[in-house]
Amino acid sequence: MIPESKPEVDATVRAVLKDVLALSDDQVASFDDTTPLFGALPELDSMAVAGVLTEIEDRLGIVIDDDEVDGDMLETFGALTTFAASKTLA
Amino acid sequence: MAGTPAVRIDHYEWPGGREAMLRLGPPGAPTVIAALPFFEEGNRTRAAMVDVLRRLAAHGIAGALPDLPGTGESLTDTADATLSAWRNAFAAACAHLGEPVHICAWRSGALIDGEAPAASRWYLAPQSGEALIRELSRLRHLSGGTDIAGNAISEDLIAALAPAEPITTGRLRVARLQGDAKPADCLLPGRPLWRGSEPDTDSALQQAVADDIAAWIKSMLA
Repeated sequence: MIPESKPEVDATVRAVLKDVLALSDDQVASFDDTTPLFGALPELDSMAVAGVLTEIEDRLGIVIDDDEVDGDMLETFGALTTFAASKTLA
Repeated sequence: MAGTPAVRIDHYEWPGGREAMLRLGPPGAPTVIAALPFFEEGNRTRAAMVDVLRRLAAHGIAGALPDLPGTGESLTDTADATLSAWRNAFAAACAHLGEPVHICAWRSGALIDGEAPAASRWYLAPQSGEALIRELSRLRHLSGGTDIAGNAISEDLIAALAPAEPITTGRLRVARLQGDAKPADCLLPGRPLWRGSEPDTDSALQQAVADDIAAWIKSMLA
C-alpha cells in the first residue's frame, strides 16, 4: 500500500529508519520533527543514506534524484518526512 | 541459527574455469541453489542465505551456494566479472547438481538465472538491472569515489546490467517484505538485510523464507 497522508508517510519513513539502520522501536518512536538525523545518528553514514533513500523510494513508490539529496533534507526527521511527503502526495 | 547439518565444499566447472560451491543437506533430495545479490548486498546477506539453506536441510531439502567468477573464493578479479560469465557459470552450477534444481534468488541475484535449467524459481524482492544501476550510481555519488563501496565494477558489467530483468516465465514465486509496495505472491515479515551497514541475520525472516520455499517445492511434488 502506498501511503496517502502525511502521517502515513511519517510512519513509513520511521519504519525505514528502524529497518535500515537497525534502530530500536523505542528510539524511532521518540523521533519528532526536530530530531537531528545526518551527523547526529552514528548509524547514518553515507552508505546508509543510500540505503535509506532507496528503501524510501521502494516503499513510497517515488523516485529521488541524486541532485535532490543534500544535507538539508537529511538534517532532521521533519525535513526528511516533509521531503518524502512532497514527492509522495504531490 | 538453525541446527548444524554437515556443510561441505564442492566445485563446479564452467567454460571459464572452476569455482567453489557450498553444499549441504541430504544427497538425492531436491536441491535449492542460491543466488545472492551482487556486490555489497551479497556480503550483507550471505550469512542469512546460508542459514536459509540450513533450515531447508531440516525440511529434507538440499542446498547449494556457488561462488560466481569474481566473487567469494574465485580467482577471477571482481573488475573482470561480466554478467554473461555469471549467467554461464550459474547455469553450469545448476547442471552440476543434477535434477531437480530449484532456484532461490534474492534481489539482483534474480538477474543471473535466466540460462539455468531449473524446476522452479523463488525470488525475494527481485531487482531489475535498472534499479541496481541507480543504486550503484547513488552510492558512487554519495561516497565521491570512483569505485562503488569498495567494489571495482567494470563499465562493461554496468552496461550489461542496465537492461537486465528477472525472468517472469515458468514456475515462479515472488516474495517481498511487508511494506514493499510492488506486486508479490507473498509478503514476509522482516528487515531488508541487504540495506544494512553491516552483514546481519534475522532468524524469523530466514525461517519464514525456508518454510515458504519448502512448502512451494512440496506443492510441486504433491
